[in-house]
Amino acid sequence: MSLFSTWKDLRKKGVMGINQRNADFVLRYNQRHLYPLVDDKIKTKERAVQAGIHVPPMYGVIDSDKQISKLSEIVKDHRDFVIKPAQGAGGDGIVVIADQFEGYYRTTSGRLLSRDDLEFHLSGILSGIYSLGGHRDRALIEFRVTPDPIFSAISYEGVPDIRIIVLKGYPLLAMLRLPTRQSGGKANLHQGAIGVGVDLATGITLDGTWLNKFINSHPDTTNPVRGVQLPFWDEFMSLATRCYELTGLGYLGVDMVLDKDRGPLMLELNARPGLNIQIANDAGLAARCRTVEKEIDRLAAKGIHKPSPAKRLAFCQREFAQPSLITRNEPLATEVLSSISNEAMDSPPSNP
Amino acid sequence: MKGVKLHVRVLALALLFIGVASTAWQIFVLNIPVSSETTEPVWVIDAKLSFNARDNSPVKVQMYLPPVWSKFITLNESFISKSYGVNTDVVGDNRQAVWSARRADGNQQLFYRLMLTKRSNSRFSESEPGPQFSESPELIGVEKVAVEALLKPIREQSADIETFIREAIKLINEPSNDNSRLLLGNDYTQDNKSRVLELLLSSAHIPVERVHTLRLVSSVAQVSELWMRSYNGKRWLYFNPETGTQGLPNDRVVWWTGDEPMASVEGGRNLKIEVTANQRTMNSIMLAQSIAERKENKLWALSLYDLPLQSQQTFEIILMIPIGVMLILLLRNVIGLETLGTFTPVLIGLAFRETQVFWGVILFTFITALGLSLRSYLEHLHLQLLSRLSVVLTFVVIIMALISVLGHRLGLDRGLSIALFPMVILTMSIERMSIVWEERGGVHAGKVGIGTLIAATLSHLMMTYEPWAYFVFTFPGMLLVFMSLMLALGHYRGYRLTELFRFNAMIKGK
Repeated sequence: MSLFSTWKDLRKKGVMGINQRNADFVLRYNQRHLYPLVDDKIKTKERAVQAGIHVPPMYGVIDSDKQISKLSEIVKDHRDFVIKPAQGAGGDGIVVIADQFEGYYRTTSGRLLSRDDLEFHLSGILSGIYSLGGHRDRALIEFRVTPDPIFSAISYEGVPDIRIIVLKGYPLLAMLRLPTRQSGGKANLHQGAIGVGVDLATGITLDGTWLNKFINSHPDTTNPVRGVQLPFWDEFMSLATRCYELTGLGYLGVDMVLDKDRGPLMLELNARPGLNIQIANDAGLAARCRTVEKEIDRLAAKGIHKPSPAKRLAFCQREFAQPSLITRNEPLATEVLSSISNEAMDSPPSNP
Repeated sequence: MKGVKLHVRVLALALLFIGVASTAWQIFVLNIPVSSETTEPVWVIDAKLSFNARDNSPVKVQMYLPPVWSKFITLNESFISKSYGVNTDVVGDNRQAVWSARRADGNQQLFYRLMLTKRSNSRFSESEPGPQFSESPELIGVEKVAVEALLKPIREQSADIETFIREAIKLINEPSNDNSRLLLGNDYTQDNKSRVLELLLSSAHIPVERVHTLRLVSSVAQVSELWMRSYNGKRWLYFNPETGTQGLPNDRVVWWTGDEPMASVEGGRNLKIEVTANQRTMNSIMLAQSIAERKENKLWALSLYDLPLQSQQTFEIILMIPIGVMLILLLRNVIGLETLGTFTPVLIGLAFRETQVFWGVILFTFITALGLSLRSYLEHLHLQLLSRLSVVLTFVVIIMALISVLGHRLGLDRGLSIALFPMVILTMSIERMSIVWEERGGVHAGKVGIGTLIAATLSHLMMTYEPWAYFVFTFPGMLLVFMSLMLALGHYRGYRLTELFRFNAMIKGK
């Protein structure tokens, strides 16, 4: 098969490339001055709280070297917490503390860190090692999400998250990202996490992608990833849809998690979301963008310039539903999986 | 959005047009060669005048020089003489050099050297128009009869001045023609034939003039060749008085016109003139420059060749950077190669100029590897970013100094060139690489490092490719062409080559 025919087939399928994403969507729909809102997680969080969007609660912010010593005070009422650089990208610089005792902190992977270690890490964050342009940064200390047990069968350590790409408030594609042993518990695709497509209409998972290949089951747990019904799906969708009004950014990747107790939470926003979500869903982003742009034009012609989030959601769930899932008669894998995960919960968890 | 696209396209096309047009203008109008390798023949004509001066009397030597309207461009002319003053004047259509000295003794030698190119001179056509009417001379007796007898068939067989003159030359050169034999009077020399031709034509009111030409062939002791010319109202027509062929061949250069000899001397005897011609080759770009200098062409003076030599060399490097940058643009946006930083590879590629690619790659890898290990050690010391960077930079400088000293000891002069490696770039590469290593793993870091080296090597090879360096330096309009390509690439929406592999799984089923 020649490269040329690959090119043509990809175009036919409406697969979006980086150049197209940057030029036609990121540059076109995302105004520069709005970037700080999504690039700085603290700002995003403050904005979201105002708008009534659920986020993991923030324990504190450290924005100067003086305040580093206040860390122990900030976290003294919380056994577990997460330290994040406010302007970090791709999950870099995030430390997840699962437990603390006698001045030591234990990460989720079991490593013990002293207070000095953490303070050094914080000063690294402040000096901007993890921020995009190397600017001075702030550190954010927040609630540690405990993943819903529904994921334990198809995930290895860490917290799976859900990414939905939203164009002008219209959700286009959704993906469940599952950490693997290789990704070190991080839900980052280029670090080896699995991306699993999710049907927009029902919230039932499709096939997965791992390192740009299609896969059917999780490499660590060997359980199939397809056919899992994600709980609170409509809430996830409405959360993602409303993020357009929150930021004003037209092309957005919304990252969300499902906390055991708090339900769907918005973690962060991304103004340049990755493209692997297309492989996970086996669907082209460009094709879906065209559908949505046509709808926007159609509504604009009718004089509707700001359709309500509910209307947009309904349009996308109607347009982008996976027909194969609706007509399928066989029992959903969710039931099978939930029994497995219950079993898994009975045995002592390898990792709290 | 559509408006912007159109805007970019128009701008790119405009830049492309201006760039190509200025380059084309330089190539076709200014005759600037497209390659630095091109050489062109240059003729060096030496005239040596020697004579014996009369004792203690003023000497004045007069010699005709090729006129300014000559078909060829004069590159350089020089007069060499001991204790003579030299002046050049324009006398009618001719140019004349006059050597003069208050007193001279014994054998005297004067030299004149002329350098000509075969490039056509734009002033050639501007040669002064000549007379179109000639008074007929008073002829008596036999000569009058002979002239009239000759003119009659010529008039019948000719249509215009050109054919008239050709017929006349043919008749004069016919040995069996009694009339012409009578006019020549058994004197069949070139000079006499010309005289008869002049007589014949002026009787028909056609003015003719003698032209003395030189052949551009490598030769020793050349004698000027005589041609005749006549102005037909539009241009000068040149005739060979022997054969009647019209049109001066391409290898003839007009030296002077008129009946006088090439040179004459006052206050001297035994004047001898020796003319030799020699062909040499000359670099075209230097040729174009010296022509421009003579023409005092202001436009050419705006070019980079007008800079001092030192700055020229600097600019030759600077002007190549856009080529390297464009390569990076292509590698990143069209191929999809990952590199450290955006233009870091171009800067590393520039450093390769001094170290050569092979040593450059080795030194870069070596220093980066050492720097990475230091960086990972410093990680444990919990240093702040700036002080850590400073330590790494100082370490890089120490390594570079050590390599230089060691290289020098071992007699490897390559080691010395390391000093030209950009330290700050190296330090930042090390820092970025170590972060990539930490966050994405060693494989990815290796991939990015190799990508950087590939990009640096390619950009180095492109930036130092001599013909391109010459071309861009000579035709700076190319920079506008690059700019238009870069603008066009700014709206490139297609897949990157690596994406074709990345998304390959999505079309496997078909």
